[in-house]
Amino acid sequence: MKNFYRKVAFGLGPNEQAPSDPLEWAKNQLNDIPEFSWKGKILPEKELRNYYRDYVYGDRKVLRKKFKNDKEGYKREKNKLRHATGQKFWWNLELCIRYSEALKSETPVLAKLWYFWGNHFAISEKDFLAQYTTGAYQREIIRANMNQNFEKMAQEATIGWSMIHHLDNEQNIGPKSQEAKWAREKGKTKGVNENHARELLELHTVSPDCGYTQEDVIQMAYIMSGWRPKWGKKRLETGDVHFNPDAHEPGTKIVLGKKYKRGRKSLSVAITDLVNHPSCRKFIAMKLCRYLITDNPTEDMMEPIIKAWEKSDGFLPEVHKAAIEVAFNYSDKYNKFQNPENWLLQMSKMADVDLIPSPSFMDLYQLGNKPIKDQRALERLMDELGQHPYLAKQPNGWSDISEDWMSPELLIRRLVYAREAYYKKSGKSQTTKFYEEMIEKNYDNPSEILQIINQYKELVHKHVILFNLPETLKS
Amino acid sequence: MKISRRNFLKGSATTLFFAGFNFPVLANTDKKKNLVVIMLRGGMDGLCAVPIIGDKNFEKRRKDLILDRTIKLDSDFALHPKLKNFHNLWKKNLGAVVHATNIPYTKRSHFDGQNLMETGGHIPYAVKTGWLGRGMKLAELKGDGLALALPMPLLLRGIPSNDNFYPSKKRLPRTELLKLLKSIYAEKSEHDLANMMEIIANRSTMSSGGTSMSRKNSSLALKAGLELKKINGPRVAVFEVDGFDTHAAQGGVNGSHSDSLIEMDSIFKSLEMGLGNEIQNTLVLTLTEFGRTIEQNGGRGTEHGYGSAIFMTGGLLKKSQVYADWPGLKRKELFEGRDLNSTIDARSVYASAMSTVFDIDFKRIQKEVFWGDKLQNLSEKLFKS
Repeated sequence: MKNFYRKVAFGLGPNEQAPSDPLEWAKNQLNDIPEFSWKGKILPEKELRNYYRDYVYGDRKVLRKKFKNDKEGYKREKNKLRHATGQKFWWNLELCIRYSEALKSETPVLAKLWYFWGNHFAISEKDFLAQYTTGAYQREIIRANMNQNFEKMAQEATIGWSMIHHLDNEQNIGPKSQEAKWAREKGKTKGVNENHARELLELHTVSPDCGYTQEDVIQMAYIMSGWRPKWGKKRLETGDVHFNPDAHEPGTKIVLGKKYKRGRKSLSVAITDLVNHPSCRKFIAMKLCRYLITDNPTEDMMEPIIKAWEKSDGFLPEVHKAAIEVAFNYSDKYNKFQNPENWLLQMSKMADVDLIPSPSFMDLYQLGNKPIKDQRALERLMDELGQHPYLAKQPNGWSDISEDWMSPELLIRRLVYAREAYYKKSGKSQTTKFYEEMIEKNYDNPSEILQIINQYKELVHKHVILFNLPETLKS
Repeated sequence: MKISRRNFLKGSATTLFFAGFNFPVLANTDKKKNLVVIMLRGGMDGLCAVPIIGDKNFEKRRKDLILDRTIKLDSDFALHPKLKNFHNLWKKNLGAVVHATNIPYTKRSHFDGQNLMETGGHIPYAVKTGWLGRGMKLAELKGDGLALALPMPLLLRGIPSNDNFYPSKKRLPRTELLKLLKSIYAEKSEHDLANMMEIIANRSTMSSGGTSMSRKNSSLALKAGLELKKINGPRVAVFEVDGFDTHAAQGGVNGSHSDSLIEMDSIFKSLEMGLGNEIQNTLVLTLTEFGRTIEQNGGRGTEHGYGSAIFMTGGLLKKSQVYADWPGLKRKELFEGRDLNSTIDARSVYASAMSTVFDIDFKRIQKEVFWGDKLQNLSEKLFKS
């Protein structure tokens, strides 16, 4: 049962007592969205997007022209521009905010589910989104909607600037739209870009299990045509998302057998229909079970979550509570292989590793400068562990299948960074007694584990073994 | 301009397929053959790497990017002067080029293009495995892939238990600790973990104390060569080279595109060194998402284009040659009036390479890896059987 604390959160820290009712402890964290526990600076997405704008404009419209014959000069000035717009800093700040929720907040269960949703509506590696806006998107659109219906999150994520830009919907132009006509007059062709529409169906809502066809994807793309950032000479592609009727495909569209009229409203109507499709709740229930419980969820696991969804109309706190309860009920039978990020947070919480730089230290950063090494520690660490949360390779996010995290190098990282982490612990937690209590509190087989790790005398070795035992790798 | 559709690859569409046999597995199992793929990310400019000789259209449109002192490969094509290692291989009949080729993707997005170059599909993100992974699965090469990267590249997805190598900057724990973990995994029936820990423990005994290896592609390639050389080592290796997206200051011989090409070139060399004689049983191929525009842009760079080139090295090549069904560079011959056309589906080259190295009938690869798409069997033309 104790693995439940690690399964749905990150285990119990040194100052936490085991709750008398673990299930209630977990469920009580899911009703509200508290303020961030990070006490330093937190920038709104719009402001960060402006830094991104300054970077792309400066590079594309200024430096590339100015230094066309000077490779070294171009490199040098581009580096200056990176620092002038905080390119190496913001995402480190975002990681501080993100990990404080796991390690320092009263709601680690909410944090673990936040990471799930951020990955579900993933903004994968593209341009420099990760360095500027992905973290803010995950705060303002994902986390902020975790006490709402799934529909609201889906609506906002779909027309969020990050998502629209990430999935190329600005290039999605109805072939019979006004813009396509203008293009034809100039001898150019413009047409549909299905990317975003496909991911909305496949990854974000109904999944291929619902049996949509390629024609459904195209029709969905027609519905989405015209949704794009407001273009400006200086803003380039970083303007707020709006609906531009000139790029919208005229006529009625049919997706999954239902008709949609032309115009601005049809996208939101279509999303409402998608999130209410039975395949959507089944898909989300499966993914929640896969994330929390096992690579191969059973129908029995998914059923209570689907029921809670139906009863509450997809109200996320209820869906989350149902998922947590299923995880609780199966916690003795199933252990889930933890991805590198969750593993790191687990180790940091239980072993009291000083992972996150302090707010006052981060706030020392001044634009125009290269951040100092310790201000960039998190970004580098996550990259080294193989799972920077803002750099998933594809729009389907990071995998939650064990096999994808098993490679020699990825396991080597866990060995070497377990060791590194040990040296970031406070002196008072570098004692045998500390480890005995921590293991007692967080593991179901403490005496067996102690027997194993006590084969080594030095505490650092005990630490490395403990955090690479199957009991830790799988929770 | 002498060249007019020479060195046709078209003729080789006649295949090795024997009628009456159902997908015969070619019998040639006595020697270990290796396949290496180098992914060139950002859009490799085939016309910078292997420029055409004496084409007025080309020279006119790329005034500031024309290279000095190129190396003449044949009467029609030259080689970027910094690709010295490739040139050495070429001289030994160990280097060849397929030109005016690309994956069938024409939309010019890195994001989609890189996905498709790895999946081999037509619709971005529709396929979740890589063509190389699927080919290895067909050849039953489980555990035979080596990625020189930390996450497994999509290209290798589709078959489990691949190895990867991307040295950590930190020191591994002592070997006996690794062995202890391995025995715990084995005791608890965590077989995958136990296998991985075995590999790690072996690695730790090989490494020399605390000196961590460089992550430069040239040293990774040396390591890969040494591993591929082993009879029980991996048979497939995958590299990545970034930085080909040169919208500005692409430059000439010392430009930024050259920097990335030089990195690619260093892989050729290190692989050869690591492989020793086994270079004879190895095939190295490059892969990119698209080429670049013929015309230079306002920043003396180039934009995203279409047709590019594939570099090939290794002893499984038939001979040193630039293979092309040259489409020409007059405006009407260009793709959408701006890009070098692709006259050879690059996947034909990759499918033929897998057929040669994995000893699997081409048609089986065509059918099971590339969904029966219309591809040419170039095995006979390009490679030794």
